[in-house]
Parts: sequence; structure tokens; C-alpha cells
Amino acid sequence: MRRLPPWAIELLAVLISVAAALGVTYLAILKVSQQPGEAFNQLLLGPLGSSRTIGIWIDDDAKLTLAGLSLSLVFQARQFSLGIQGQVYLGGLAAGLVALSGMGTSPLAIPLGLLAAMLVGAAYGYIPGLLKARLGANEIVSSLMLNYIAIDVFTWLIHSYISDSRLGLTNSPPFPAAAVYPALVANTRIDLGLIFALIGTVATWFLLYRTRIGFDLRLVGHNPRFAAHAGINVKRVIAGSMAIAGLLGGALGAVLVQGQAFGELSVGFEATISLEGLLVAIVARNRPLLVPVVALAYSYLRQGAVLMGLNSDVPAEAISIVKGLIILLVASGGLFAWLRPRAAADALVPVIPGDGRQEDAGGV
Amino acid sequence: MTIVLETDRIRKVYPGGVVANADVSLRVAAGEVHAVVGENGAGKSTLMKILYGLEQPDAGEIRLEGKPVRFPSPRQALAAGIGMVFQHFSLVPSLSVMENVVLGAEPHHGISFDRTEGRRQVRELAERFRLPVDVDAPTGAIPVGQQQRVEILKALYRHARILILDEPTAVLTPQEVRELFAAIRTLVAAGRTVLFIAHKLPEVLAISDSISVMRAGRLVARTATREVDEAALATLMVGREVFLQVERAPRAVGPTVVQVQGLRAVNEAGLPVLDDVGFRVRSGEILAVAGVEGNGQAELLEVLAGLRPATTGSIRLDDREIAGWSVRRRRRAGVAFVPEDRLTSGLAPGASIAENLIADQVDRPPFTRLGVLNSRAIRSLAKRLIAAQGIKANSIDQPVSTLSGGNMQKVVIARELAGTPRLLLVSQPTRGVDVGATESIWQRLMAARQEGTAVLLTSSDLSELLALADRIVVLYRGRLVASFNDPAALTTEELGAYMLGLRAQSAQAIAEAS
Repeated sequence: MRRLPPWAIELLAVLISVAAALGVTYLAILKVSQQPGEAFNQLLLGPLGSSRTIGIWIDDDAKLTLAGLSLSLVFQARQFSLGIQGQVYLGGLAAGLVALSGMGTSPLAIPLGLLAAMLVGAAYGYIPGLLKARLGANEIVSSLMLNYIAIDVFTWLIHSYISDSRLGLTNSPPFPAAAVYPALVANTRIDLGLIFALIGTVATWFLLYRTRIGFDLRLVGHNPRFAAHAGINVKRVIAGSMAIAGLLGGALGAVLVQGQAFGELSVGFEATISLEGLLVAIVARNRPLLVPVVALAYSYLRQGAVLMGLNSDVPAEAISIVKGLIILLVASGGLFAWLRPRAAADALVPVIPGDGRQEDAGGV
Repeated sequence: MTIVLETDRIRKVYPGGVVANADVSLRVAAGEVHAVVGENGAGKSTLMKILYGLEQPDAGEIRLEGKPVRFPSPRQALAAGIGMVFQHFSLVPSLSVMENVVLGAEPHHGISFDRTEGRRQVRELAERFRLPVDVDAPTGAIPVGQQQRVEILKALYRHARILILDEPTAVLTPQEVRELFAAIRTLVAAGRTVLFIAHKLPEVLAISDSISVMRAGRLVARTATREVDEAALATLMVGREVFLQVERAPRAVGPTVVQVQGLRAVNEAGLPVLDDVGFRVRSGEILAVAGVEGNGQAELLEVLAGLRPATTGSIRLDDREIAGWSVRRRRRAGVAFVPEDRLTSGLAPGASIAENLIADQVDRPPFTRLGVLNSRAIRSLAKRLIAAQGIKANSIDQPVSTLSGGNMQKVVIARELAGTPRLLLVSQPTRGVDVGATESIWQRLMAARQEGTAVLLTSSDLSELLALADRIVVLYRGRLVASFNDPAALTTEELGAYMLGLRAQSAQAIAEAS
């Protein structure tokens, strides 16, 4: 059998998944649409149509990158905390309060907003970690519940205190100009957030692969029993990984509310983009340096779907088919086992707990 | 000699190109005990799985009483009269012995399960083949040796004429081994044929009538047992001379490294597993802890390593009390631990070889400075350890899971012995390891002893304990029941009597000896 390098196999697997997903979507469009050609055209080429749509695409990339990094980090510790949504809301709230305060007009509005958002996100991310380490609470459940709490607290605060409720508004007054990220390209949504996302990418990579914290975190993800054996405080690493992921989640909150797209606090601003980082993290196989690349491809498809919804008779929700199929195909990596050398495929199989006996394992 | 079962040039290649069996022609005579021996990875298990229908050969054929047969699954093998007992039993612990034996082929009255008939049949089988069991006991509550009998009875109940036993003695005490051998002789006397895989050559010589030796997927020799001795067999297995005697330099005992007093600990269920344990290990000596598995040896090592808290008691390492210390702090003070389940507790399979090799000391300079890893130092240490241990790997960056089992073991041992530990905790150092690797692991342990390391060793292989130990203590139900200063004067039977709780020394005698 011809042996491809592992990265080429992974890439091939992803490309096949995407192609298959698009193929199925095309069939669905053929079925429901009066103008399938136009709809598919919008899906595939729409985002390149104008500088405005390109701007939205790149801006989404920045945001999906931060979300994907946060989730990749916590997934590398093999913790399935999905608390990023709550971190984004509370982080955004913290950044917004800085922007709306006296500091909002100073040059410190942007760095302080980001810092406040990151600290709040980390604190909120730490809660499910603490609950797990201390009480053994399942982090999936606790983090999702904390999301609902954060969303509702945010909405309540906007309605009751921050918006001008006499007008029935669902948003805050606009931030002062000094508190809004400057656009990198005039008249597009591309702003300072893109730079932050790229810095975040390198920082996450460095943390995971070049520091002791990252080493401990990855080792716990690989095998917590061995990590304990080697002297790592596993509980602390688990809780810590969720807090660090919360730093990135909080940062995403600041980048969203202080970005060109908003420049204000508004109910529902997050629009579930943070949980879409899940797909990015899965496809990037939790590798930070791949996250922005995957995010770029995904946000393109996402933008194409929106344009297809606007400009054809196919609803934008059709993209859910693509999303669902990609997750299915990529996450169930076993489908592509035939592409991989045997040893690599074996590595996907968890070691079965036993007595360590390996009778004739060499021959099997 | 009538050949009851034979294979003709069986060939099996696993995906990935590993040739597990190459033209293997095995011949088993009716009514004999035939042993198949060989190193890890020699292809013994594969061959047995093919005979039992669990694997399909790529070429060659199986002949039963001269007629070609095919076994697409174990069902057909059983129907043809071939039964197999694996190392890991497949019994339902909550069911009684009788229920386990008849499970899937129950005697019945119409649609109701006839328990009286089941009991009668199982009792009769047990008596006939000298496999005494309590047919009404819950299977999970009986000792391992009896569970194995249940497995054998299961095969006999299904009218197996040829019984394949996969390393049957690995989990047994010496007494249980003798009982198993008695049962095997009864089986053969009753016209059954027994085929078994083994690692331990003295046992092979004691029970078998003839022996096939496998090496690297080939059957390299078939011989009558009376014509060979242990040395000749070992040579055939590895293709060179091996002396399973480790050279012992005279012991230069130094000061006490670790002193344990009044140690108690509980298991996950809160039940006591260590009860007032006290001993010391001096620099340059190997103290072996003997005991039937489950009598507290594993927990003792975990407590000393810091992975399990002691409820009371003192552990002094070089005159510092370490009982309250974290794992990391103990490791820095020179405690190393080669755990029993190396592949599940001793390695992170998905992490690279280098990462696995430095995982326990990555927290200190020169590997980390100000929290940042020093790749160069890490890689150079990893490369040095790989070379020193003869670990066969293409790159230190490949995941450890891509290595063979034996090389994974070497990674663990290389890491734990890297810094000349003060106290080395070793559990089952050679379990599941072949003759050649056993020899090299024994030599490494002896070398550590020579360098002044205090070694605390546990193993279920008594001959290993006797070969390596300077002193032996015996744990029975979490208590020390015996201590011996001169292992050379001990026999496995004597030791076995203490391990099974049949004998015990006085507390005073134990204290004086240690």
C-alpha cells in the first residue's frame, strides 16, 4: 500500500468530507429549488461578490478562530467543557461596561476592555472545572447550564439597566469611538479583532507545545492515570485548562462587542458563533495552527449560505446539512482508516485497561 | 502416534505486513499434552486463534483427524470438539458456577431451565475430570484458580475433545498450578488432548509430552519433552543461548533508604488493604514483597509512590517523613515507580516517545526554564535514553503507541531508571515479557542495586522473586506474615504456604529479620 504522510491523509480526509457534504447539499438544493444553479452559485461564489461580503467573511474567520482556539485547548486536555458561550456573554458584558464607563473615551478602552473580558471569561470558565475537580460534576452538563445562566443574566441586565428601556430597546447606547476596534480595511468589518485572533493563535500554540503548563495539559488529555503517575496534579490541570480556555472565550466576547459589527452591547449578539467553533476545533483536530485555516474555510461556507438565503429561494439553513455532514464524516475518523498506515489507525483506539499484558501483541 | 490435529503450512499476515505465522505445520497427537512455546510475538496466540476459529489463515489448511476443516468462527470449532480457555476469562461473575458452565446450552424441561439436571451434570463432569468446584458458589466470589476450572468445565460440557489453554499458569499460585496439572493428567487419561501455550519453561517440562517451539512466526522445532532441557528450549526459542540466572554481585548494603512503620491504607471501597505494615529497605538491596495478587502489594507500592494516601503510618525516605508529600515531590526526592500496568498507567500512548521519556522530570531545569520547555535538552535526553535502552524507533517524535509492546516497556523502564533513583518501586517487571527481555530487565534491576538504589519489588512470579531478592517479606491480607533474610534457602512451596496464609511467623520474628 502506498504510504502518504499523515498530514496529507488528514487533509485528504477533510477534503473528501467537504466534497461529499457539498455533493449531498447540491442534491438537496436540486430537489427544493426552482433555480438550483443560482442557489449553488451563491453558496460557492457569493462571498467573493463584494468587498463588503469579503469583509464579513474575514471578520467571521477572526471570531471563529478565537472560538476554535478556546475549544481546541480544552479538548486537548480531553475536557468537554462547552462553556464558551457563557464566557463570551459575560466577557462581552465586562468589555462593554469598560467601554461605557469613563474609561471608554480613553486610549485604554480597548486594552482594558479586552483584559476585563478575559479575566471574567477565565473566572466563569473555571467554575465547571472547579465543580469537576471538587465534586466530580460532569463538565458538559455544568458548562451548558452556566451558558444559559450567563445569557439570561446578560439579557436581563441589558433590558433592565443598560438600554434605554423606555424606548423598548434591546441594546446599549453606542460605545465611544475610542472603544471600538479600528477597521483595518476601510468600510469593511475587518478590524483589530483579526490581529487579536492571530496573536491568540500563536499564543495558544506556544502555550500548548512550548510551555510546561501546555505539556501537563496535553499529558492529562492523553492519559490522566499516567499524568498522575508522573507527578502531575491532574485535578488542578483539569480546572486550569477550563480557566485558560475561558480567557480566550472572554476575549471573543470583547472582540465581538467592541468590533466594527457591533460597537455596542445588544441582546443575542453572540448568535451561537462560539459554539460553531466546535466544528472548527473538530476539523482542525484541536491543533491551534490549523484553527484559523479551518475557520477561514468554514466562515466562507457560512457566508455563502447566508447569501444563498438572501439571493435565492433556498433558505440559509441548508448549510446545516453541510455542517452536519462535515462533523459526522470528520469526527468519525474511522471512515478514513483505510487511508492511514496501520499503526496510526491503531493509535486512535484507546488502550484497553487491563493488566498490561501484551502476549503476542507484537504479532497482532 | 495418531495425529488428531494438524496444520499444513498455515500462513497469516496481518494488515500492515506483520507476518504472524509463516508456513506453520503443527502436529498434535491424540491423547498427549502438547506445549507451544515461544517469545512474545512469535505467533503462538495467532496460531491458537486460527485453530479456534477466531482468525482466518491466509493460506494453508487445518486437518482434524486427517480431514480438512474450516472454522469460520469459534462456533464451528466447538462443534468439531475444540475448546479454548483464554488468559482472560469470560465468566458472568454474578451467576453461579453451574450457570456459567451451562450458559447457552442449558438442560431444560420444555422451556424451563432444569437446574437440578444442570447441577448433576456439572458435578459429574467436575468429579470425572478432577476439577473440584462448588457448583452453587457465585463465580465472582471464587479464587482465580477455580474460575479457571469453570472455564475448563465450560469447554468439557460442550464436549471438547481437544482443549487449548492460553498461558494457564500465569495467574495461579504454585499450589494451584499443581492442581491444574493433576487435572490436565486426568483429562489426558480420559482420552482428551491438551494443547497449551506457555512462557515458563519449568512448567512446560513438568507437564507436557511434546513441545513445539515457535520463533518469529515459524515453527522451528518439534520435540518430545524427555529429550530436551530448559537451556536447550530457551536456546531454540531465542535462537541463542540464554541463562536465566542473573549474576549477583556480593551485596554492599548501605544505610537505610526507606523506613516504613505502622502503615495502613484502604481501597476505593474503604476496606483496609494494608494493616500495620513495617519494613525497611537499605541502599543496594532488593527487598521482594511476595503475596498472592490482591493481598496489598499493589496498594503498598501506590502508597509509597504517593498515588494512594496512607490512613496512618510513617514513611521515612533518607530520614525525611514523606507520607504527606505529593507524587512530584517524592519523585524529586528520588522515588521511581515502574507500575504493573505499564501500558495504562506508565505511558501516554498518543504522546511522543520524547514526551513519555521526560514526563516525570519536565518540571525541573534544564527541561523547563520559567515555565518554557527547553526542546533541545528534552530531545537530547530522549535520544540518549533511546540509545542506551536499545529502543527501536524511527524518531523520538513518533507517538509511543506506534512502538511494539516490548519497546513500550523499555520506554517506561528507561524513564524510571534515568536518574539513578534512591528508591525504585517495581511491580511485575517481566510479566508478559519474553525470555530475552526478561534477562535484560533483570540485569537492569541488578545494575540499579549495584549503584546503591534501594529496590522494592513485587511479582507474581516466585522464581523471579527468588532469583532477584536479597530479602523477602510476605503479605497476606494486607499484613506482613513472614520475613526471610536468605531467599536462597527458600523453596517456592515454602513461600507459597505463607502466601496462602497457611503459615505465619510471629511479629517478633518478622521484626528481627527486617
